[in-house]
Amino acid sequence: MLKINKLNAKIDNKDILKGLTLNINPGEVHAIMGPNGSGKSTLSNILSGKKGYEVSGEVFFEKKNLFDLETEERAHKGIFLAFQYPLEIPGVNTNIFLKTSLNAVRKARGEKELDAIEFLKLVKEKSKELKFDEEKLNRQLNVGFSGGEKKKNEILQMSMLEPKLSILDETDSGLDIDALKIVADGVNTLRDKKNSFLIITHYQRLLDYIKPDFVHVLIDGKIIKSGGAELALELEKKGYENF
Amino acid sequence: MKEQLQIDFDNIIKTSSFSKKDIKLKQNFLNEFIKTGFPNRREENWKFSDLKQIIKKNIGELSFYNDYSLANKIDTSVFVDGLEYNKIVFINGRIEKIDFDYEKKDKIEIIDEPEVDNRPNNLNSLIDLNKAFTNKCYKILIKEDYKLAKPLIIYHITNDKVKSKNISLSLDFQLEKNSSLRLIDLFNDNSEKNFLNIFYNFDLKKDSILKNYKIDKTENKNVKYSFNNIEQDTNSVSETFILSSGSEFFKNEINCNLKGKYSSAFVNGICSLSNNQHHEIRTIINHLTENTKSYQLIKSVLEDSSKAVYQGKIFVNSDAQKTDGYQLSKAILLNENSEFNAKPELEIYADDVKCSHGSASGSLNEDSIFYLMSRGLNYQQSRELLINGFLLDVIEKITDTEIKNLIKNMIGFKE
Repeated sequence: MLKINKLNAKIDNKDILKGLTLNINPGEVHAIMGPNGSGKSTLSNILSGKKGYEVSGEVFFEKKNLFDLETEERAHKGIFLAFQYPLEIPGVNTNIFLKTSLNAVRKARGEKELDAIEFLKLVKEKSKELKFDEEKLNRQLNVGFSGGEKKKNEILQMSMLEPKLSILDETDSGLDIDALKIVADGVNTLRDKKNSFLIITHYQRLLDYIKPDFVHVLIDGKIIKSGGAELALELEKKGYENF
Repeated sequence: MKEQLQIDFDNIIKTSSFSKKDIKLKQNFLNEFIKTGFPNRREENWKFSDLKQIIKKNIGELSFYNDYSLANKIDTSVFVDGLEYNKIVFINGRIEKIDFDYEKKDKIEIIDEPEVDNRPNNLNSLIDLNKAFTNKCYKILIKEDYKLAKPLIIYHITNDKVKSKNISLSLDFQLEKNSSLRLIDLFNDNSEKNFLNIFYNFDLKKDSILKNYKIDKTENKNVKYSFNNIEQDTNSVSETFILSSGSEFFKNEINCNLKGKYSSAFVNGICSLSNNQHHEIRTIINHLTENTKSYQLIKSVLEDSSKAVYQGKIFVNSDAQKTDGYQLSKAILLNENSEFNAKPELEIYADDVKCSHGSASGSLNEDSIFYLMSRGLNYQQSRELLINGFLLDVIEKITDTEIKNLIKNMIGFKE
């Protein structure tokens, strides 16, 4: 599904990613762990199409060169990034945003756009599953939301859009145990033979609830070790210093 | 221009039926105008908008003669749908219709003011020009305790019969004690290169409420100036909302005198401009007695080489203790050639007041755009959503729900 081959990335003339290689097959859950500044967020930004990076190497998503696709086209094709710091968008109603987003994606996929009633039914259903306060749907997007609510809102968006590849950029940071479980439930509900996940995290904690198929250690822009779920436990015990 | 002004003026006098006294007054106003001419950037209030140059560049030679003897046909297709309202229709500066069909007839008086109002004017030369060339000045009087059932829409229509014309019009409103009026000014231009000069005077008696919504939305190549003078007695409220977007140039001035205790003034505005448009909102709020309140919020969205100006002055005299004055202006510049000028001014002579002002400008937040695009919205949709979001709180300041929805529809706000 996703093939990253020797990806290099620079920003402001500083090398961040230095030949990163990673393959994700349909249905797999990969976790990337690494110390601060190792390039985790850069990787997720580049995959979802943030501008401003100088990149070389290859990234293919379902055999398409990712660099040929605009940010919104990547979303249409099924890439979703749950932001580490979801942005507050003043004056934009959460429901209107969700509907615009969902219908943009549905339209691009050749599916019927949802009318107001169909949309509301769906968003209510999903909000309930995620224990996301429905009242927040009528508020301005993320404005005045707590850290946990913002993260839950990301997962709500994910479950609405049903992406093929979901990238969770430190979605667990700043979450209490209950919220963490809800986020994990959201991921596990979407998890099936076709959908894949790339979970970026500092801590092993989230991986107690979302069992990864592979764990990678990212240090200084490169994956230096890969293994199964047990690697996360090892990291939790020993830290990154030994790498 | 001087000779032309006098020739055009004499022509108008010949074809109208003003009294000798009126003619003399009008000639005096004309003389005053001839002395000073159009305001230019050497005057402090016009330093960001040099009207003399703007007229020269966009219109060239102005003609001041208008034939008001023939009625214009009203094109009803420009009328607002889905709302019941009273109306006044101006076409090319001529009053074609006044109807208050939805109101009690004995509660509203329309007075054809034969005597030109001789109140001293030291405002600016455009007022002189206005008074010299206005063909009729009506006074609309709302009687005590009467609240108009429906809004009044004033249509300012111009059509292709006029070009390079100076069009002056003037209205006087008096809101008696505990009365209220919702007034919408709708500009609809199908003409170019004209100069419209509009002067409104509002006299708000105790407990009265005025809401004035000025909507300049239809794209046109005219140059416009509008002046609202608002006198406020005890406990009266004025709410002004300006949508400045259609004309090539538009300067809206609001001068508000809070003379009565507990009177309050709200001015909210949006400048949404593109190409070479240049719009200005200038406000002067005079807090003249204690416990008065003013609130202003002005936001601009500027594309291409457009330019917006906000000059906002809050004046608090020494008697005006417990004044509460606030103003904020913000602009989003969408192009490196766009320009926003803000001149906030506080002049305070009382010591127990709460006054604040702020101004900020910047470009659209790229991270916000990335966030929205990563959810499948294209660049255009993301931009539109962010701009609408930026402007929403100004729209939300409109206290009349019916009119708020009308305006939202007009500017394509999605619910």
